[in-house]
Amino acid sequence: MAIATEELTGGVTKVILEGRLDIEGAAAIDLPMNVIAGSKKAVLVDMQNVSFLGSMGLRALVAPARAIKGRGGKIVLFAPNELVEKVLKTSGTDSLIPVHHDLQSALNALQPS
Amino acid sequence: MGARPFAMPFREMNDRSESLAQLTLRSRLSEMAQLPPWIEGLTSRHGIPSNVQFGIELCLEEVVSNVIRHGYAGAEDRSVVVRFVMPRDSYFAFVVEDEAPQFNPLDAPDLKAIDPEDDARIGGQGIRLLREFANTVEYERTPTGNRLRIGFSSAGKSETSPESRNNR
Repeated sequence: MAIATEELTGGVTKVILEGRLDIEGAAAIDLPMNVIAGSKKAVLVDMQNVSFLGSMGLRALVAPARAIKGRGGKIVLFAPNELVEKVLKTSGTDSLIPVHHDLQSALNALQPS
Repeated sequence: MGARPFAMPFREMNDRSESLAQLTLRSRLSEMAQLPPWIEGLTSRHGIPSNVQFGIELCLEEVVSNVIRHGYAGAEDRSVVVRFVMPRDSYFAFVVEDEAPQFNPLDAPDLKAIDPEDDARIGGQGIRLLREFANTVEYERTPTGNRLRIGFSSAGKSETSPESRNNR
């Protein structure tokens, strides 16, 4: 699992994930996601290249999302594949972290209320 | 055990289909790296579609990691055996056997989906994911531990298996 970040205009941090969010993948992103969660207030997680999402991977997304929201920030997931999105919906994660397939709508969702 | 959607009769559990493959893991999370390539080999060999493979990986990750983390509670010298059986065409199952204290995941209370307002609970979605991605899940207590059989149709979740038809 690879993780990279990119600062977009408007104060949005794009987190690009690539690979499998299984137990090993979750361990690989835990620390960087916690750092992001502690310092960023508008986070777009690009899921386009995440090929697998298990329950440990869910934890690795949910915990930072709660931290960001707890600090008054916003986080969205962008463009997960069909099966990854099914995991997000089945677990109810999409109610905590909205899923967008259109980049502009994802960016709009991150704007301050 | 009450009538639960995935509480299958022991009919299927008792037809001891011949194992076509078996993987034995030590009770360490690092051992789980062996699961994906093993599953990929089986799905390739048996022409199982990638969407079903995704469900298999999801379910086995959840079940095996739970055995290691909770069933064995950190003990690293135990084992988890995963067997692949194919009792009939286009229908197959993974049987997970351990020697942990008795635990029937089908008896666990249904957890609600993640609640955005509930800070206390993260995760715990395992059985919900199993029910969504597997066609059948059966539990059996063994003399030395637990046996969980997770069944899949090659057609995916849209095809209702004969044994699940009476239980859904």
